[in-house]
Order: sequence, then C-alpha cells, then structure tokens
Amino acid sequence: MRMKSIFRHETILFLVVIAALVILSIQAEQFATIDNLLNQGRFLTEVSLVALIMTFVIVTGGIDLSVGSILGLSAIVLGVAWKKLGLPLPLAILVALSVGTLAGLFNGIIITRFKVPPLIATLATLALYRGLAEGISQARSIRGYPEWFFVLGQGEFFGIPTQLWIVAFFTLLTGFILTYTTWGRATYAIGANETAARFSGIAVDKTKLFIYAASGFAASLAAIIFVSRVSTTRSDMGMGLELDAITAVVLGGTSIFGGKGTIVGTFFGLILIQILKNGLSLAGVKSDGTYIAIGLVLILTLLISNLFNRNSEG
Amino acid sequence: MKKYLLLISGLLFSSSLALAGDWTGGDDLPTNPLPCSGPAPAGEAKPYDGGSPTGAPNRKGKTITVVDVPKLVGIGYFSATTKGILDAAAEMGSMNAKTDGPSEANIDDQITLIDNYITQGVDGVLFAANDPGAIAPVLKKALSKGINVVGYDANSDPDARQWFVNQAEFNGIAKSLVDNMAREIGGSGGVAIVTSTFTTPNQARWIAEMEAYSNKCHPKLEWLETVEAQEDNILSFNQANTLINKYGSDLKGIYGMTSVATPASADAVTQANQCGNIAVVGLATPNAMKPYVNSGCVESVVLWNPVDLGYAAAYVLRAVADGDLKPGATSVNAGKLGELQVINGSEILLGAPYTFNKGNINDFDF
Repeated sequence: MRMKSIFRHETILFLVVIAALVILSIQAEQFATIDNLLNQGRFLTEVSLVALIMTFVIVTGGIDLSVGSILGLSAIVLGVAWKKLGLPLPLAILVALSVGTLAGLFNGIIITRFKVPPLIATLATLALYRGLAEGISQARSIRGYPEWFFVLGQGEFFGIPTQLWIVAFFTLLTGFILTYTTWGRATYAIGANETAARFSGIAVDKTKLFIYAASGFAASLAAIIFVSRVSTTRSDMGMGLELDAITAVVLGGTSIFGGKGTIVGTFFGLILIQILKNGLSLAGVKSDGTYIAIGLVLILTLLISNLFNRNSEG
Repeated sequence: MKKYLLLISGLLFSSSLALAGDWTGGDDLPTNPLPCSGPAPAGEAKPYDGGSPTGAPNRKGKTITVVDVPKLVGIGYFSATTKGILDAAAEMGSMNAKTDGPSEANIDDQITLIDNYITQGVDGVLFAANDPGAIAPVLKKALSKGINVVGYDANSDPDARQWFVNQAEFNGIAKSLVDNMAREIGGSGGVAIVTSTFTTPNQARWIAEMEAYSNKCHPKLEWLETVEAQEDNILSFNQANTLINKYGSDLKGIYGMTSVATPASADAVTQANQCGNIAVVGLATPNAMKPYVNSGCVESVVLWNPVDLGYAAAYVLRAVADGDLKPGATSVNAGKLGELQVINGSEILLGAPYTFNKGNINDFDF
C-alpha cells in the first residue's frame, strides 16, 4: 500500500516534468538544446548533492537547516587552509571535507545525545557555522586558485560537465542505499516510528549520527565544487541553500513527518525546479514570475498527488 | 529568526575581528587617499585592460537587445539605474533594454540569470557585480559568444568585461564622507560603519579608502567597528541600534555604506533620541533621506545620481556595440551628459560625488 502511493507520486511528478519539458521547449527555442541542458546540470550540482542526503534526513523525521552554513564554512576553510596556512590544495580540500563532515556530526550529536529537536539544533548551528565562516574569513574573499582546480566546476569529462558525473554517482549510490540496504530500511523505520525502531533493535542513534555527518559531508563537497565553479571563496556562500534543497525533497514526495520518500522523487523534484527556473527565464519570464510559478507548481503537484493517493486509499 | 541568530553569532565574532587592527570590511588593495584640501592630482594614463568579445557581429546602427542585471531588484537605487537605462534606450530608439535581477544580492542567482540570457542570445549585457571574481567566468562566457559586456556601479575583474562606468572614484567618495563626518562631529570621536557585507566590492573599496584618508587627514576620528547588514532594512536598523546601545556616548557618528543602511541608521538614531549626539553620514538616495534631512537629524548625504549612472551605462554599451568606443579612447559621448572621461584604462568616470543637504535635497526626486 505504501509502495503503491509512493509510486503514484513519482509517476505524477514524472508526468509534470515531461509536460514542463514539452511546454518550455515550445516556449523557448534555446531551451531544449544539449548545451543548455548540460549547462543547467552545473547549476544543479550543489543543491543536488545536499538534497540527496537531505532526503535521508527528512525520511528519519528530521531536518537539517545548517547545510547552507556548512557550505559557507567549508568553502572558507578550503580557502584559508590553502592560502593562509599554505597547505597544498588537495590537502586543503581534504581538510574542508573533514570540517564539513565534523560539522554535520556535531549536529547529529546535539540531536541524539541531548535530545534537541533537529529543527532547533540545526537552526542554532545555521547561525553558529555562518558566524564561524565570517570570523575565520576575516571578512576577506580568497581568490587565485590554480587552473587545474577549475576542472571540477567549469571543466568537462567526455563532453559532460565534470560535476555531473559526481552527482550521477551520488544519486545512484544514495538511491541504492536507501532502497536496498539495512541502513536504508533503518532510515525508514526510524521515521515511521522511532520508538518501535528502537525496540526492534535498530541502532537509531548511530544511524542518525551517520546521516547528519553525511549531510555535512555533502554540503562540504558542494562547497568545493561551488568554489571551483565561481573561482572565489566568500563567507556568504550557500545562504538559503537549505530551503532550495528542502523544497526539492518535499516536491519529490518525501513526507516532512518522516517514514516516506525516495531518491527518485528527489531527483525529479530537483530537475523540475531547475528546468522551470531556466525554461521560464529563457521564455522571457522575469525572475519574480519564475518564483511564483515554482511556488504554484509545488502546491499543485502536492495537491494532485494527495488527491490520487486519497482516492486509492478510499 | 535566522537573521537574529546570525546577528548574535556575528556579534560574538565581531570582537575577534576587531583584533585584526585595520578597519573591518575594507579590502587589501592599495589605497590612494586624496590630499586633505586642494584639488586632486591628475592620475596617470593606463593602457586598456578590459576584455573584448570574440566574433561579435557588426551591430553598428542596428537595434540591439540588452539585458541589465543589477545586484538585486526592488530597491530604490537600482530602480533609479533602470530608469536611466530605459530613458537612454527610449532616447536612442535603437535599444531594447530590460532589467532582470535576483531578489537578493546573491552571487549564485546573479550568475545563473546572466547565463540564461547568454543562452537566450542577447546583444549586450549590463551588470552590477555582487562579487568581482565570482561573476567573471560567466561574463567571460558572454564575451566568448560575441556579446558586448559593460558594467556599472560594481565592477568585475577588468578582463571579464569591456568597459565599466564608474559612478565616482573611490577616494573621492571616501574623502567626501570622512570630511563631512569630521565637520559634523567636531573633528574627533568614535565612529562606526554599517555596510552590506564585508566582501561587497564597492563598500570594501570605500572603507579601505576611508581608513587611509581618515588616518591621514582626520587622525582623531576613532574607528570602533564595522557591522554587516546585507542591504536589508530591518537588519540595518537593528545593527545601527546595537551600535548605539553598545558604545553609548563613545559613539559620535555612523557611516552608512549602502542606500539601505543610511536611512535605517538615521531611523535608529532618531528613535533612540540621539539626533544631534550621533551624526549619520552616508550614501543614500535623496527620497529615502528627505525626512531625516528635513528634520535636521542628518546633515549630509553623499551620492551620485543613479539615473545618470544607468543612462551613461546604456550609452557606453551602444557606443561599444557600434564600434565607436575602442580600446585607447579617452572619452565617450553619453547623450545629455556630454563627453565622459576614460580613467584607469577601461573605466568611464561619471563625475564628482554630490553632497545633498537641507538646502538642495528637495530639488531631487529619485
């Protein structure tokens, strides 16, 4: 029964994506070109990486509002470790990834050890990490990265933007983990009924710790790609990223109350939002109009999905 | 809610930032303070350091499509530059111009927007950068597709655009702000700065120049702190309010570095009943400042005319597209503004900054 309703939401979403693709191709001739679509993939990368893990977080019934700030913090750590501390860039990248992962782990510790609701815990670390980023950066942006580093954010590999390969890899990996492994099943079980999961012998706290750490890792990986794409480091990077990621996850059919959701849904959610942003802009709609359209599509898709699901249940 | 938490953490870190020694929010570029009095020395000529489009079609005399991407839309300042661009376009009759910008001053949204217009295929891009480095790759992409690129208000790396219309030289603005502040508070006392973000290029440059000029010509002005307010009304008011409460009678003046921060700071001073005790000097549009200037709480507001800035940018883009403005040129014709001078290799200077006061502010409407 649950599987059936999930399937329904994704089918609807898929149809909406197809409809949007067709309509936008007619409205804007530059839209349905390989060049443009691949290019959109570049813009989609950072939010995708974060949204994939955010799906796990929300499936457990939690939320991670600090991802944008972790992105900012990791970006600054990357720049400072490389330029100020003089580490070789590959090592600086590792340091930045570790800091991001630790920041995520810290979220997990607050949530599991001290029983702080995820919303409150990550709202606090949203401010904390952003403050750290601004403090460490001494309010200076860092630039002048070597040419090879830009391959990650601006280059391509077999004709496809480098970062899309990374996104594809993580989409498959997270999709596999959530659907086919014990970790994935534990994630659903925690979201559906945490107490029951605990009594069934599932390592609830360990699973959650791992998921929040992964969320921090995803945000720091996104930070590295973002820095490579825009060739500079700023402490305000990633502001508002959490809302974009959560929007995509929720549009993808993941229940904000936990226990329900898939990577496939999130994937379509991400694509739908990005093609709407890009396609409407190419069709001559200004950015304010685009935001309105995205809001309406979000509400409509969820409404239609709810309607169908209620019918199938009743 | 998010903003307040950010504010709290910002305050926690501001104490550690103050240890840095120099004024927070300035940049590291070399400064060039003007003499304390008397005319500015003539600058030396620099070779053209802008970029050039590859394979641009001949656009001479043809109607061109232009998109204007300011830092953000929905604030008075950029509404005024838009008006200038549209005025110029209407006057020329050979330019279809439209403005589309992010709703927040966000680097990523701005980059995505410009990229979309490149795909859509425009003839020219006008921009005001949220970050000089971050915007460079997408502008270079525009140049590589044969699109004419002209900046105004906030520059990018020079080689990522063709020309930049400079509203006023940084040291000129800095001198004007600091001189007005020193005069109003009697030459000595603590001053604080409300800026947008520490890395916003214009504000960072002004603050660095203000520091240099202030130390040189008004050494008794003591810098206390620079706070960030994101070009956000409520945050600017709160930040100014925090400064007033934090420093009490040590605070003699507030510099507002954005057209949002200055009126918000004036409002905070007014509401704290500190008019006359705390001076507010800053950059702002006249309409936003009229209540405070007319009530006597604020004596001087420094700015250029943003309508003229947009107007000049549109004329420069037209001249570039026509091939009339080439590297090495020393001036360019900008319609009713006359001939504007080329400075710093690939910049066009709009003119000297203007100080609005009780005597003249009501003559302006923007």
